[in-house]
Amino acid sequence: MKRRYLKFAAIGLALAMPAAAGAQMLVEPPSLAPLVEGGKLPPLAQRLPDTPVVLAMDQPGQSIGRHGGTLNTIMARSKDVRLMVVYGYARLVKFDRNLNLVPDILERIEVKDGKIFTFYLRPGHKWSDGQPFTTEDFRYYWEDVANNDLLSPIGPSALLRVDGELPTVTFIDKTTLRYAWSKPNPAFLPALAGARPFYIYRPAHYLRKYHARYNDTEKLNAKAKQKGQRSWAALHNKYDHQYKNKNIELPTLQPWVNTTEGPAERFIFKRNPYYYKIDRNGLQLPYIDQVIFSIASGKIIPAQVGTGQSDLQARYLRFANFTFLKANEKKSRYQARLWRIAKGSHLTLFPNLNVNDPVWRKLLREVRFRRALSLAVDRFELNQVIYYGLAIEAQNTVLPESTLFRKEYQKAWAKHDPSQANRLLDSLGLDKRNDSGIRLLPDGRPIEIIVESTGESTEEADILELVADQWAKVGVKMLTKPSQREVMRNRIYAGETLMAISSGLENGVPTADMDPSGLAPTEQVQYQWSKWGQYRESNGRMGQPIDMAAPKRLAALNAKWRLATGTAQRRDIWHEMLAINADRVFTIGLISGVLQPVVVRNNLRNVPVKGIYNWDPGAHFGIYGMDSFWFAPEAAAK
Amino acid sequence: MFNYIVRRILVMIPTLIVISALVFIIIQLPPGDYFTTYMNELQSRGEKVDAAKLEFLKQQYGFDKPMIEQYFVWATGLLVGDFGYSFEFSRPVSEVVGDRLWLSFIVSFTTILFTWMVSFPIGVYSAVRQYSVGDYTLTFFGFLGLATPNFLLALILQWMAFSYFGTSIGGLMDPQYMDAAWSVDKMLSVLEHLWVPVLVIGTSGTAGMIRRLRANLLDELHKQYYITAKAKGLPPGKALIKYPLRMALNPFIADIGNLLPEVISGAAIVSIVLSLPTTGPMLLNALQSQDMYLAGSFLMFLATLTVIGTLISDLALAVLDPRIRIGGGAAK
Amino acid sequence: MTDAPIEHYVNKAEFNPESAVTLTPEQERYYMASQWRLMWWKLRRHRLAVISGIFLAAIYLSIVISEVLAPYNLHARNTRYLYSPPQSVHLFDDGKFVGPFVYGIKASLNLERLQWTYSEDTSDVQKIRYLCVGDDYKGASYLFWGLFPGSFHLFCPAKDGQLFLLGTDRLGRDVLSRIIYGARISLTIGLIGIGISFTMGLTIGGLAGYYGGFIDAVVQRIIEVIRSFPSLPLWMALSAILPVTWSPILVFAGITVILGMLDWPGLARAVRSKLLALREEDFCTAAELMGAKPSRIIGKHLLPSFMSHLIASATLSIPSMILGETALSFLGLGLRPPITSWGVLLNEAQNISVVALYPWLMYPVVPVICIVLAFQFFGDGLRDAADPYK
Repeated sequence: MKRRYLKFAAIGLALAMPAAAGAQMLVEPPSLAPLVEGGKLPPLAQRLPDTPVVLAMDQPGQSIGRHGGTLNTIMARSKDVRLMVVYGYARLVKFDRNLNLVPDILERIEVKDGKIFTFYLRPGHKWSDGQPFTTEDFRYYWEDVANNDLLSPIGPSALLRVDGELPTVTFIDKTTLRYAWSKPNPAFLPALAGARPFYIYRPAHYLRKYHARYNDTEKLNAKAKQKGQRSWAALHNKYDHQYKNKNIELPTLQPWVNTTEGPAERFIFKRNPYYYKIDRNGLQLPYIDQVIFSIASGKIIPAQVGTGQSDLQARYLRFANFTFLKANEKKSRYQARLWRIAKGSHLTLFPNLNVNDPVWRKLLREVRFRRALSLAVDRFELNQVIYYGLAIEAQNTVLPESTLFRKEYQKAWAKHDPSQANRLLDSLGLDKRNDSGIRLLPDGRPIEIIVESTGESTEEADILELVADQWAKVGVKMLTKPSQREVMRNRIYAGETLMAISSGLENGVPTADMDPSGLAPTEQVQYQWSKWGQYRESNGRMGQPIDMAAPKRLAALNAKWRLATGTAQRRDIWHEMLAINADRVFTIGLISGVLQPVVVRNNLRNVPVKGIYNWDPGAHFGIYGMDSFWFAPEAAAK
Repeated sequence: MFNYIVRRILVMIPTLIVISALVFIIIQLPPGDYFTTYMNELQSRGEKVDAAKLEFLKQQYGFDKPMIEQYFVWATGLLVGDFGYSFEFSRPVSEVVGDRLWLSFIVSFTTILFTWMVSFPIGVYSAVRQYSVGDYTLTFFGFLGLATPNFLLALILQWMAFSYFGTSIGGLMDPQYMDAAWSVDKMLSVLEHLWVPVLVIGTSGTAGMIRRLRANLLDELHKQYYITAKAKGLPPGKALIKYPLRMALNPFIADIGNLLPEVISGAAIVSIVLSLPTTGPMLLNALQSQDMYLAGSFLMFLATLTVIGTLISDLALAVLDPRIRIGGGAAK
Repeated sequence: MTDAPIEHYVNKAEFNPESAVTLTPEQERYYMASQWRLMWWKLRRHRLAVISGIFLAAIYLSIVISEVLAPYNLHARNTRYLYSPPQSVHLFDDGKFVGPFVYGIKASLNLERLQWTYSEDTSDVQKIRYLCVGDDYKGASYLFWGLFPGSFHLFCPAKDGQLFLLGTDRLGRDVLSRIIYGARISLTIGLIGIGISFTMGLTIGGLAGYYGGFIDAVVQRIIEVIRSFPSLPLWMALSAILPVTWSPILVFAGITVILGMLDWPGLARAVRSKLLALREEDFCTAAELMGAKPSRIIGKHLLPSFMSHLIASATLSIPSMILGETALSFLGLGLRPPITSWGVLLNEAQNISVVALYPWLMYPVVPVICIVLAFQFFGDGLRDAADPYK
């Protein structure tokens, strides 16, 4: 008995040993092995943090990979090197593929009442140049950048303020720090996890060389002038841009490091030897050794992808290119997949509730008019003609993949019912028509809605043409006016446009804990009520205060969400806001769930067959872990 | 002769000044500026923008100064070699442009060579064998080249090059050679990709050149001295080369003034379509994002190239044609 | 000595002292003919130019009746036949002569490739009708010149049938009809543009040539500046300036003006050099001495001497305008939908899917080539005819 017990204990110990000493079974990437042997790099065990992230690769469709390979992809501007930061997606906290917020760079987070955030870093975590990553990097940001008058003349960013209040930041030890506000700050963590992240840390050991506090100010200013900048502050700002990703000497925590000084036609990103993740077999991530961005003109990228010059591509490909891409699959040895674009609505019409013309303003604010216009749209035809029936006919609301989805939001006033539309318009007193059959406004002008667009895609022009014909059947004439984005925006802000077309809700797959401000008048860039949004953005200095009941309620709900103390409360607020938007049809959603072609090389593994393609949350490939993609040997490609 | 050269060069200077002023005005005309464009672009991608930070940046780069002052700063900078600052790339224009000017020059130069090499024999043949089947056919093809919008041709040719030869689409060489040092392989790759752009850009110029050459040569062939030479017993081939051909070379030189702008603008549009790493695509980009100094510098570069080309052609013509030296002006 | 008279011929007719100077009727016609008549006679002999001239006249006349010539109206969409390839016209069905007809189209969607595939339905014979009236197929009725409703077509599909001779585009619009309508815009731009540049070139060149001196120097500098600019980048820059709030018609006008304004230097140079030469001629001096005003001298004496050359040059510039508009629209800087011009059509065809999968969308390039060629030949003919030394 005792012997059996011992035997079990022995076996148990043996099994536990690798798990406990998992760090011992580490696999050095072959491309770094020569450097380690030559003494230029410390061995892997010393490069990883004490507690690296261990990815089990057990998500559906994932498998353990191998080191090696070069991933080629094509971009249109050299600015796009910032996308490596997006795709690499190393964040303090990140969204996982189910859109839950999980710690990533941080080992642990503690949130108390939504007001106090305690962050625990991984001990032994290092920057890409081997220097330690500690709370000193956070302190440098907080004291020497955000609160430095020369570097940040407007002070710390609005994301760190709650009702104008700045946090109390305490640095407890080398791996622990705390941000505390007196009111909840629900936008803080999502901002840290954003595709364009909110950085609250800097590589202090590198930037300190350019900071006047740690150097002789005069010498620093002279050095700055030498490099063509006006002052040390300008020089510091130039080098300190982690998102832009252009400064190749700036240390980073991302899986791949930019090694090409721009401008160039080709940017090479090499693996970060100090990356903090390994897979469950001990291989240090990322699997892929290097990523190459080739720069080409946007129009020719689909052609280049079709001829097999890209291993992984989604950007600069549109749905209309899919047929061509699919036709070349075999010859160019890739797979053309389709992911869903996760915006609330791919194309939405925005009636301008702040338009200057009083007759139009009254009409556009009339909910029956907006409902009639929405009913007159035949979304089925739009879907069939442009998207082969593969998109979703819905209002501008959340997508079915979201936990907040309800069918009634999607279908609200979205049925194609011209007779009801006619009845609604008649009931508004718009029953007089002119010779061409167009209804007349109360003051005798024909109802001609000019929809402004940016004219950047034939898709928009085509959809508008189809909708124009559909509206003509209920006596409303539509004209399109293609414009330039900036000109169109200025006109909307000034109240000179009647209606605009653009994409709908930025985040179509929110959870209750994500920011609902897109549903309320909060920003000037919301085309349906830009003056109210401007009012809020400028804290009352510009724009107009809200003077309609329902949007007022939305603004109040939005404020309430920030003070909510639990997911259940936040969910209720979300649903009320969604319901108001669905009922009042402040925006007329035309089509959503449009598909995005994603081209994947045949032997590139761990890329999901079906996924969502979204900027925030999603970071395009970020949430699917580009560091876990790997190349299988060519022979196994077929 | 010396007088003529000096006068010609002196005349070029006010032209360049006027051009620079025009360029500056053109760049400033579209509403807004780089920062507003940048802000809009960020917002369109769903990224948040700090309006105050943009104001700060505007001040930093001197955008709040009056227009005249900005122009003088830029214009004087051009003389020194400081082409201004590109906001899009966050570095001085001279660093951004780099290889592109060089490649642009190569493409244009090769195209002009191609034009000469093709149009010369065809033009001579057409003139000598006037009204023959060959003449008609060749002239017809020349016209066809003139009439086809070359950008459309570019895309079609590239696709055919891929389907039949496997040449990669876009760019002037295979991607792996792009930052590599020059080698035989790289040269071959460039040549492989170069023929499509050169063919496309060159066709319209070739047609025009053929016609001019043919017309001029025909004029000369009817003149007395040629008939005399033949009557005196000189073999027709030798007579042709010794006398009329020299006169016929006139348009080759004189028309660089016409050919150069045509080739450069043809090169611009074709390189946009084919995504070549030359000045065209970068210019279009800069115009669209209102990266003022970059766009202005490109336009200046292209205009200066043309002006200098015309100058060289005028000077060469003066060397070639004594009438011009004596008369003091190109009789175009 | 034999005294036979030497045979010689004696004209028994009356002696007419003016026989040396009288003209026969043919000669009279030839010598008394005006300059234009001479030009016309010479042009007539250049067959290629004549054919081109007739072709151009026909095309320009057709602009007036585009609605009648095109089987579909400009906005007709047939959403059941997206990206349908051109239909072939047959004459014999099953060995029997039926007359020109097309087969019906069977459409099916390949969901894997997301591509519509079409095949001929040989059981459905659709005869092409001619001179048809009546709104019995989708896209039959139109507003003639945007004003008068009508539905008369030169030829049209069978009742409720399809006739896509050059295929359809991504919204199911007939390519042939759009090309016919596109001619209106593309060709008019050429004409209006040349009108602008002609007027400007004539006035400015004329003033420079006649007055000489300072005006001449200034004009020469301006000409040189404009000519040194490579045209395309200049067009790009100027088009980027056009306020985009302008309606499509205004944009059209703006593009025309831009193209015209950049083209006059060539003409002005020719006018100037000719005027400089002719100014010294005797007939001009005589007119001056008789007290004619400069405008009369320029208008009545100098201009007609080289008007023919000018017209020839102008004709040769029209193609560059048409190509210019095509290029600008192609780059997205010129006209945009809903205006339909050949350039806009080519812009929509400018992507790899079209080149690889739907090549019939590139057909609009054919009329462009034909028109440009026709103008070239016609202009060449005019120039040869206008030249008195050949």
